Amino acid sequence: MSNKQYFGGCQCGAVRFRVSGAIGEASICHCRMCQKASGAHALALVSVRDADFRWTRGAPSWFQSSNAAKRGFCTACGTPLAYDAPDGLALSVVTFDEPDLIAPTVAYGVEGKLKWADGLAKLPKHNTMDDLDGAPFLTTLVSYQHPDHDTDFWPPEKKS
Amino acid sequence: MSSEPITGGCQCGAVRYSCESLGRPSICHCRMCQKAFGNFFGALVTGIGVTWTRGTRKIFHSSNTNYRGFCGECGTPLTYEHETYGIEIAIGTLDNPDIAIPQLQVNLHDQRACFANLAQTPKPTVEQLAKLAAWNGNVISHQHPDHDTEVWPLSKP
Repeated sequence: MSNKQYFGGCQCGAVRFRVSGAIGEASICHCRMCQKASGAHALALVSVRDADFRWTRGAPSWFQSSNAAKRGFCTACGTPLAYDAPDGLALSVVTFDEPDLIAPTVAYGVEGKLKWADGLAKLPKHNTMDDLDGAPFLTTLVSYQHPDHDTDFWPPEKKS
Repeated sequence: MSSEPITGGCQCGAVRYSCESLGRPSICHCRMCQKAFGNFFGALVTGIGVTWTRGTRKIFHSSNTNYRGFCGECGTPLTYEHETYGIEIAIGTLDNPDIAIPQLQVNLHDQRACFANLAQTPKPTVEQLAKLAAWNGNVISHQHPDHDTEVWPLSKP
């Protein structure tokens, strides 16, 4: 078994996890349930059923999205984190600190695919700072997102 | 502007909203949107005249200037907001997401490596499909339907 370790967590940092060993199949699911759970066009998940997995800070809340499966999210910031079904636990790929290590290899739920989903990569590209007239707050923005690595303490100081 | 009401909400149905109209739909690759959506990017559309018609969203201040709304009961990401510049709605939460086809993509510097090829992700094998069909035969969804309801849930899960 691989000794590889993976880390990740939610946007605010209240929930963090660690995966040791072999992660399983990574997939992207276009079904309407996964669309809603992620507020997006699809949800990418990777199975950790055969790995050593633990929540290392906090734990998600769960919504029983069907009789068969439940979905875990951070109750402090809402980040969709997990999908737990009888065949084991899967985690949201993008909540890993290094999501580029885990590319989806199969697309499920394609009968629910939004008609514009396949054209996204071809959309016109736009620099954020070109939008300053519309969103001048960008010049003073300070992120409160947890960094992409474990921390001993978080948040570093209380926000006013 | 469409004569149909523009409505949407979270997965469990505790939070529902309506919009008078929609502005520009886009996708954002920034790491903040990735985390907030648990997804490769955030898909957002400007919501004009947004009314919370059932419950309301819970707020996380993701930066000093902006905040993000989600359902406290089921976690569905619902909004990206700024006090002055208004509300962006998570496109996947619209009852009909096809009315908000993204027109541009922003924050390409954080684009994930797999993004460009996502549309080419292989479909399941016959074996995987058979396993799925067996699984789906026993599933009873607890997701709120894609239209407003008088009462929800119809019965306790």
